[in-house]
Amino acid sequence: MDLNEKELIDKLKSEASREQAFQLLVKTYQQRLYWHIRKIVMNHDDTDDILQNVFIKVWKNIDGFREDSSLFTWLFRIATNESLSHLQKQRRHSIVSINEINDYLSESLESDVYFDGDDIQKKFQLAILQLPNKQRIVFNMKYFDEMKYEEISEVLKTSVGALKASYHFAVKKIEEFLKEDPK
Amino acid sequence: MKEKNGNIENQFNSLKKESPFRVPENYFETFADRLNIRIEEEKRSVNKRTLFTYLRPAVAIAAIFVLVMLLIYVPFTKLLPSGSGNIAQNRSEKNVDDSVFGIQGSLISNFSEEQLLAAFSALSDLDSKNLSSENLADYIAANYSSYEILADN
Repeated sequence: MDLNEKELIDKLKSEASREQAFQLLVKTYQQRLYWHIRKIVMNHDDTDDILQNVFIKVWKNIDGFREDSSLFTWLFRIATNESLSHLQKQRRHSIVSINEINDYLSESLESDVYFDGDDIQKKFQLAILQLPNKQRIVFNMKYFDEMKYEEISEVLKTSVGALKASYHFAVKKIEEFLKEDPK
Repeated sequence: MKEKNGNIENQFNSLKKESPFRVPENYFETFADRLNIRIEEEKRSVNKRTLFTYLRPAVAIAAIFVLVMLLIYVPFTKLLPSGSGNIAQNRSEKNVDDSVFGIQGSLISNFSEEQLLAAFSALSDLDSKNLSSENLADYIAANYSSYEILADN
């Protein structure tokens, strides 16, 4: 944890400087968290709701932050859990199986007005969406966010060995998908 | 396996460079303002909840009291049906006692002989026809003072 982050946490925990520090926190992390959530739930509107919920949780619970991990790790953990909870709620309300939730996310991607990718990029995203949620998150964090396994391990509370295996299987599955469905 | 993964990653590298996702115009510039509005709403709802938070213990205690009373009263009345019969019997006995005590509390001279015979037959389980004036007189003499018998005379 660098000094700036430590200072930011101290200011967040102080009533007097909380508002100002919170604005700084939002400004610093909003984009990284947004893209992390967006890659899990795909849709912009859902991402916007979840991102707001994440920051509100941070606002409410900052006093309880024990600083066992870095602020960045804590934020990513909240964002990941909120995103997974959102997908579980979707599953409970209208969708019953994992295949169906993947279909729902694929449809979300297809109909997303804020998706600008060409055919190759869309196919790549659809291939990623075939993965189970946890494996998809590991793939996104490693591949797109270029996080170290140790960092991912702290966020997801999973061993580095399990993450490496998970990433390996994810890459294999994406490769298979792209081979099987070359159109 | 590492080498193979490396080859696959090389194939994907061209896709990684540019994100195909977009956000609405000025989304990140306005995000903090929208978040602040949500936080203000949250604060207001917390304040509203505070009043209920104060009242909640009292409401909970009242609810527990009612529940405990129901748990005691309902089984008690349901499990003791004979109790209600006893009460009814006690009530009829009380009425008899009242009639006798009504007489006992009053002056004998206020009642006719027929009234006295009816009252004492209820008390002594004897038919008023079998209860003679002598029996009545003996009973009155044994249980009432001269004042109660002769007050009006």
